[in-house]
Amino acid sequence: MKEKLSAMIDGELQSDSLHTHLGRLRADPELRGAWDTYHLIGDALRGQISPAIADRVAARLREEPTVLAPRPEKSRSRRLGWYAMSAAASVAAVAFVVWTASPGWRAESQLAGGQDAVATGAAVTLVSTAVPAGIENYLLAHRPYSHTSAMQGIAPYGRSVFVEHEVAGK
Amino acid sequence: MTAPFASCVRAGMRIPLFLLPVSAAIAQTEPSALQWLQRIYAATEKLSYSGTFVYQQGQQVETSRITHVVEASGPRERLETLDGVPREIIRTGDEVVCYLPASSTVKIDKQPGRRPFPAILSEQLKDVSENYTIRKGEIERVGGYSCQVLALEPKDRMRYGHRLWADLSTGMLLKAKTFDEKNELLEQFAFTQIKIGGHIGRDQLKARYFRKSRDWRVEDSGAKRANLAEAGWTIRSSPAGFRTVAELMRTMGGIGGVGHIVLSDGLAAISVFIEPATSKQPAPQPGLLRQGAINVYMRPVGSYWVTVVGEAPAESVKYIADAVEYRK
Repeated sequence: MKEKLSAMIDGELQSDSLHTHLGRLRADPELRGAWDTYHLIGDALRGQISPAIADRVAARLREEPTVLAPRPEKSRSRRLGWYAMSAAASVAAVAFVVWTASPGWRAESQLAGGQDAVATGAAVTLVSTAVPAGIENYLLAHRPYSHTSAMQGIAPYGRSVFVEHEVAGK
Repeated sequence: MTAPFASCVRAGMRIPLFLLPVSAAIAQTEPSALQWLQRIYAATEKLSYSGTFVYQQGQQVETSRITHVVEASGPRERLETLDGVPREIIRTGDEVVCYLPASSTVKIDKQPGRRPFPAILSEQLKDVSENYTIRKGEIERVGGYSCQVLALEPKDRMRYGHRLWADLSTGMLLKAKTFDEKNELLEQFAFTQIKIGGHIGRDQLKARYFRKSRDWRVEDSGAKRANLAEAGWTIRSSPAGFRTVAELMRTMGGIGGVGHIVLSDGLAAISVFIEPATSKQPAPQPGLLRQGAINVYMRPVGSYWVTVVGEAPAESVKYIADAVEYRK
């Protein structure tokens, strides 16, 4: 399961198996502990909990290098991102939360600050990976004006499901 | 006007009066290809249908069921996702209600000042023919129907290319593919099963979550037409072929006073959202995100956040985001 967790971190699992493993995560107290920890770290890094907890969590995370070890990746831009994260464990944890929360969303490193920037700085990695929580609101507001609505009716409204789900479930 | 229009289109007859401004453009390109596009728009609006379709983007596939019924009071439409998280959308006239059971939320949105259907067409088709080369392709089969293939090739790199499959006898769009600047597939939409016309039971239009949603959170966009230029917001310049088609104020995610400017090239639309930075806690990081054909670019402008969303190449979306200015 640790290996699967790693695959999830790498974004290698398809949504079907991702959901299966998320289910196992929820059922297994130990894994769930790790999962909760990642959420805590995410919150801490976004400044939503006290620094004391953040320090404790960061310390625990340093003891668990296996979970955060990156696997070989086919996508060049994504690999660059993940390498940057393995250099800073805490950043990888945030990215883990965000990435699994919204499959289908890719960060575009070239325009988000250049690949060099992505490889050198943790802050830039976050820039390119974090999915803004309210993204589905923008999509919903935009849809009626899109040509896809003129040609496909409300069909496009069925999309971006994953984003909605995980944001709500957090 | 609407009924004769529909029958004209259905019968593939000569161009109705209100489309006269377009006739010049039609004469220059392939007339029948542009008329096919017209048929698709009309079919989406006027036909009653019910079916199942898939969206595919990369390795991700999502299936949904859709029912569209045209009644005397106007069209009513229902969509339900079949994969993953349940979500139901009901459209009546220009009002869209989204039921999101995962978050116990109902989202309501209206399109204020939307010009009634055929009126909007002539301008739109004129813009499309200026920004894309439209060609008729082969006849291919989709979901058991023989379809006319249409190719829309962008005239520059600021927009995507499209390939459309429309039912020969009704004009209903049954499949669509979007391609990027390198002509690689970004995403596709296709009906796997569809029934066009005939009797469609009213129960297929009933909102499944209507009762359940009584104690859910309701987020109403309260969208209203607005003059954002007057408020000091301008888009210095936009990519060739894109022009402003709507300016609104709305509530998003519980935050009121969000400015919304829509630009269009006749086909692709790009939305610009402007909101006070205080509404974004914690502050997002500037940058670009992509999902299939949709690019999202966020950047701060003074004490505001500008978010640009569109089915257009990153270049176009970023160009517009960078051109947003506040002058007062």
